[in-house]
Amino acid sequence: MSDLVNVTIDGVQISVPKGTPIIEAAKQAGVLVPHYCYHPSLPSPAVCRMCLVEVEKAPKLVPACVTTVADGNVIHVNNDKSKRARESVLEFLLINHPLDCPICDQAGECELQDYTFQEGRAGTRYGDYAKRYNPVEDFGPDVLYVANRCILCTRCVRFMDNVAGDAVLNVSERGDRAFIGIDPDHKLDHPWAGNVVDLCPVGSLISKDFLHKARAWDLDKTASVCTGCTQGCNTMIDTRDDVVVRLRPRPNLDVNRHFICDEGRSDYRWMNRGDRIEAPLVREGGKLTPTDWTQALDRLGAAVKAARRVVILASGRASTESLGFVRRMVDGASVTAAIKVPLGAEAPLAGVPNLALRKERVPNLAGASLAGYGTDWSAALAAAKGADLVVVLDADLDDADVAALSGAAAVAVIGTVDDDRLAGSALILPATNMAEENGTYVNRDHRVQRYFQAKPAPGMARPAWWIAAEATHAARGLAAPATAADAFAALGAMIPALAGLTYSDLGHTGRVVTPNAAGAAR
Amino acid sequence: MAIGVKVMKRPEREMSYVRAALKGMALTFKHMLQPKVTMQYPEERSTADERGSYAVAPRWRGTHRMLADEQGRSKCVACGLCPQICPANCIKLVPGEDEEGNRYPLIYEIDEFRCVFCGYCQEVCPEEAIHVGVHFENAEYSRDRFVYDLERLTSQTHQVSSLWDPADVRGQ
Ligand code: SF4
Ligand code: SF4
Ligand code: SF4
Ligand code: SF4
Ligand code: FES
Repeated sequence: MSDLVNVTIDGVQISVPKGTPIIEAAKQAGVLVPHYCYHPSLPSPAVCRMCLVEVEKAPKLVPACVTTVADGNVIHVNNDKSKRARESVLEFLLINHPLDCPICDQAGECELQDYTFQEGRAGTRYGDYAKRYNPVEDFGPDVLYVANRCILCTRCVRFMDNVAGDAVLNVSERGDRAFIGIDPDHKLDHPWAGNVVDLCPVGSLISKDFLHKARAWDLDKTASVCTGCTQGCNTMIDTRDDVVVRLRPRPNLDVNRHFICDEGRSDYRWMNRGDRIEAPLVREGGKLTPTDWTQALDRLGAAVKAARRVVILASGRASTESLGFVRRMVDGASVTAAIKVPLGAEAPLAGVPNLALRKERVPNLAGASLAGYGTDWSAALAAAKGADLVVVLDADLDDADVAALSGAAAVAVIGTVDDDRLAGSALILPATNMAEENGTYVNRDHRVQRYFQAKPAPGMARPAWWIAAEATHAARGLAAPATAADAFAALGAMIPALAGLTYSDLGHTGRVVTPNAAGAAR
Repeated sequence: MAIGVKVMKRPEREMSYVRAALKGMALTFKHMLQPKVTMQYPEERSTADERGSYAVAPRWRGTHRMLADEQGRSKCVACGLCPQICPANCIKLVPGEDEEGNRYPLIYEIDEFRCVFCGYCQEVCPEEAIHVGVHFENAEYSRDRFVYDLERLTSQTHQVSSLWDPADVRGQ
């Protein structure tokens, strides 16, 4: 234990590893050191001077973000001296600040607003001087730069330099004329550039997509997982009145640190689609008629029981629970199951190991292969010709796929979006999409990660695992789980790698499993 | 058997109505000679300079009014503070952006039926845009007319509330 040091921060005694910056040690002691330029995923230049704290016996205040703790340090974050320093820093920052909080997108989640409100001066001493003015600049596909609000913390510059490795931003000019400049021949169009919007502690870099859409205090936040690719970045779904308005990264140091790529960030509109299947439809006298769940599930159960050769065409966005239970539903028949995997260009984030927008643009590829689904889509389509039953689990079908379905004796759709081309199906059952259910995805490193329900399901829609489990109950009398947690716990029987795991084992950052090992909770 | 009613024998002098009638007439005629205090509303109305006698107080919190800038556009920048503070949750706001990139309200509606006229919206507004008004004549022929949209709020001309007495801000 020789590499631990004991320090006292605002009266709280803790031991932290040697070399920890004061700001991180304070975090562990439950004390927030106000800061702007420091960010745990970026190198620290100590330019903002907001984090000055008093260390007893040190000649002057020290920046908490770059000073490492020493044994026996007694640190004061909230005494008069440190507070006066912060008050002065805030006063300097506000000299040229426009205070346009009423029209600023950051208002409500702005660190300048928060700290000024907490410990800034009540009035200004610079009433008679005109403020510096610079026009708004268009930095790139999704980023606007409002120079007047910039506090020059340089987080954006350091992100592009040190993390993205695409140094297009710099600090131009000097002194109070300084602003963030962009290389005139470039745009801020790196595939991960959108992160500067989240990194910016004020409303200086703002997202064009989110501009004016909602106020921070209108938003409900739900922990989720990005559906963009097999990386499985942790995200936060922000909804306003049950409409998803933006996705933001959620820190997970083992997967995505504090970042998500722009493609994942903008991939939320499908969650809000209005053209949804809202009631179970069954074929009655040659016509699809709405019915209740009892009848619909009996029909599905009967169809499954009668079928000898079954094909499952699934979406890679389906939860592990849904994939597992749909697969179990058709146990006993000869089954060909596949998910569709769209491919795209890989886009790594240079500064973070093992983080990239991956080629395979589905979130649950690993979960699907654990559950016994292949990726050979064309083979599955070929098998669909002459199959007794094709189960379509919310798969994104193109016209050729739909044409291939015509060779099957019967088609049962468990889907989210209403699709006229599938009107010939025997059954169409409304399922929830991932924003409307609790579930898990397994990422490419076999990390099982939970996502949570962010908005209510439309009409009578139910999670696909519920539909499959209830139909199995109708057909073969197997017990059906009532909640997503029960469904996940029961998955162990179908997927040995998940045996013994429960939702509470996964927490908010997930758990890595060994794909081929059967067995006990790790 | 009929119910018997007990009749009290009183002296004639106490039973006569003449005295009471004369007393009443005296009061009536006295008031005919005194100055009139009743205002013939709505034919007659008080004006601002008559304040102090019957006029509505300048701090009265009545139906809203949105103030406009010199170009006649509403001063609201759709900051979202008034819908947030409104205890009755009766303000609907959808922000948007105009051609010059200014933030403005695409939709701004106040449901005057749900409003409790607390005046918080006026107090919180950073742009001094929304105000409660010195106004109380709200009769309408249909209920939906009580949801005031931006156009209606901007075109109202009544005086806006001062919310507090400038001479006695703390209300003491
Ligand atoms: S950056 Fe913060 S303090 Fe500045 S205008 Fe925006 S919300 Fe207000
Ligand atoms: S734009 Fe934002 S992140 Fe960049 S230096 Fe200015 S305040 Fe910091
Ligand atoms: S007066 Fe009060 S209740 Fe009425 S709209 Fe304003 S804030 Fe809401
Ligand atoms: S508080 Fe004022 S500026 Fe803000 S939305 Fe309401 S009326 Fe508009
Ligand atoms: S956070 Fe330490 S100087 Fe900026």
